Amino acid sequence: MDYAGTIKPMSDYNFAIKPEAYGLPSRENLVDMRIWDLHYHGLSSHAEIMPYFDRMGVERVFSLDIARLRGGGGTVSAAEAEKNAQENIALLEKEHERMSGIIRIDPTRVEETLELIDRLIANGPCVGIKTGRPLDEPVTVAHPNYDPIIRRLAELEAIIYIHSGYMVGGEPRTYYGGTRVGEAHPGHVAELAARFPDVPLICGHQGTDWELGVRAIRPHKNVLMEFSGMDPASGAVDFAVKELGADRLVWGCHAPTRSFANELSNVYDSDMSRSQRKMILGGNLRRISASIHRRKGIPVDI
Amino acid sequence: MDRRRFLEESVLAAAALGAPFISTAPAVGKRRGEAYRQNEQAIPSGDGAVIDTNVHLLCYPFRDFKYGATEELVDKLRRHNIKQAWAGSYSSLFHKNIDYVNARLTRECRKKGDGMLLPFGTVNPMFPDWKEDLRRCHEEYKMPGIRLYPGYHGYSLEQEPFASLLRAATERNLLVQLVIAMEDERMQHPLVEVPNVDVSPLPGVLKGIPEIRLQLVHPFRHVRGERLQLMVDETGVLFEISNLDGLGALGRIIEGDHWYLRDVSIPPERLLFGSHFPYFPLENSLFKFMESPLSKKQARTIMSKNAERLLAVQ
Repeated sequence: MDYAGTIKPMSDYNFAIKPEAYGLPSRENLVDMRIWDLHYHGLSSHAEIMPYFDRMGVERVFSLDIARLRGGGGTVSAAEAEKNAQENIALLEKEHERMSGIIRIDPTRVEETLELIDRLIANGPCVGIKTGRPLDEPVTVAHPNYDPIIRRLAELEAIIYIHSGYMVGGEPRTYYGGTRVGEAHPGHVAELAARFPDVPLICGHQGTDWELGVRAIRPHKNVLMEFSGMDPASGAVDFAVKELGADRLVWGCHAPTRSFANELSNVYDSDMSRSQRKMILGGNLRRISASIHRRKGIPVDI
Repeated sequence: MDRRRFLEESVLAAAALGAPFISTAPAVGKRRGEAYRQNEQAIPSGDGAVIDTNVHLLCYPFRDFKYGATEELVDKLRRHNIKQAWAGSYSSLFHKNIDYVNARLTRECRKKGDGMLLPFGTVNPMFPDWKEDLRRCHEEYKMPGIRLYPGYHGYSLEQEPFASLLRAATERNLLVQLVIAMEDERMQHPLVEVPNVDVSPLPGVLKGIPEIRLQLVHPFRHVRGERLQLMVDETGVLFEISNLDGLGALGRIIEGDHWYLRDVSIPPERLLFGSHFPYFPLENSLFKFMESPLSKKQARTIMSKNAERLLAVQ
């Protein structure tokens, strides 16, 4: 995957509108926010995607797809997964000034997960993990299998991103009956947070239903929330700031399947100070990831 | 009645009711704090002003919105250079006395709309004597169009009452907005399971109504793939963009290179600005024009020209 030279600085971004004329921040304002995007899924089209990040003034992206353990019914063989990981790591190392790497784990295979963490986080270029699959095995983040994994990640001061969702469904339908058996919801995140009260955890995807998700994590000061991957909602970030505080929100875009428009609008809809906005758009993520980045030789100016 | 006359009547009606025509921005700004005012300065409406074809007023059953009060909604629209908004009523989703809802929507627009809100009433073709509701929307409330919610009103697009309603609305030269969705089904109230609207029957239904002006509202979560291609190729419907998602989505759907709507290309002439405000942040649809590299002409076409063209037919 050779993308060198395809990402060009654009002195003229050819905006069809003048953002300020529509009550939007200018590109200069966005650059000033020092945006760190925790949720990037664009490795397979990286060269095509990054100009959009340039255009919107994003400073750093976190790829969530650097490497993953095969499992959870996936169709990728172990050999293919390793080949993909090596390509992604090469890209990550080349892009280290702009991109950070997250790996996917499999909590049903604890020893292999710990080995992957040691190889790619403790002794490699990656800075954290994302949970998620396998969704059909009854091992959410509330399961004891996670305890040795979280202990090791805490030692490394790694980012811990938890895919989570209160999804309506089931029979009879409930607020969370649609969440799959291996899929964490914010209540599971809260259980994990109670066992590890000093370890920062990120409750991802706004817990799907942000009104309930925020309530679930509210008592646990070590849990931050991220809003990516869902439709935006006016007032959602105001609510989260009121209940959690601006220091407990981090920002992710979920590109390319979701737009900057979604997640920027969530933040710019809210009534907050410039400094609070800057915390949410990047400052909080810099704060919780500064140590591990610095150990990998990546300077972080909080 | 043409659009200009409707607006003149709206203004006169609002004046008679003592509605404020001066922006309420300072008062609202004070209520929301200094940071709020600094972020959004009042913007005079100019040539680039936008027509928002998808806002709702009044009470959503499941949440009070931040900008749910009509005065604050209008003030917010003004501060983002929206010159006109086509408004439905959230009460349309569940109320059976739909005429009361339509009358109230009309009053709300005229009394509090600052001359910028156009009411789009609702007709449920499964209700007895729906033609009277349609007549009142047209003749008494002077609405430029109607907004339909099949998912909430319990009918599919292949049912005859739907086709009859389209024909009757078109005979009255009313614009028709067909709402495909209101919210992500994963976040619905568990006691209210609203089905997706299947648009597949539309090409057949519309063949008999060539003069129809039909807009799909909030369509892109459910109208994808072959169905989207079908709508583009075999109908003349227009698409409202509030849930056109994906990185640089607006530019890429025009180019036929969207991330997951892949080969489907929708020309700018068939896209309409809509915000789904106050459920969605108003900024969402506006940011799309910053995110995608568009020409000024494309942006203008989507932000206002297509909507002006649709209304001008009247």
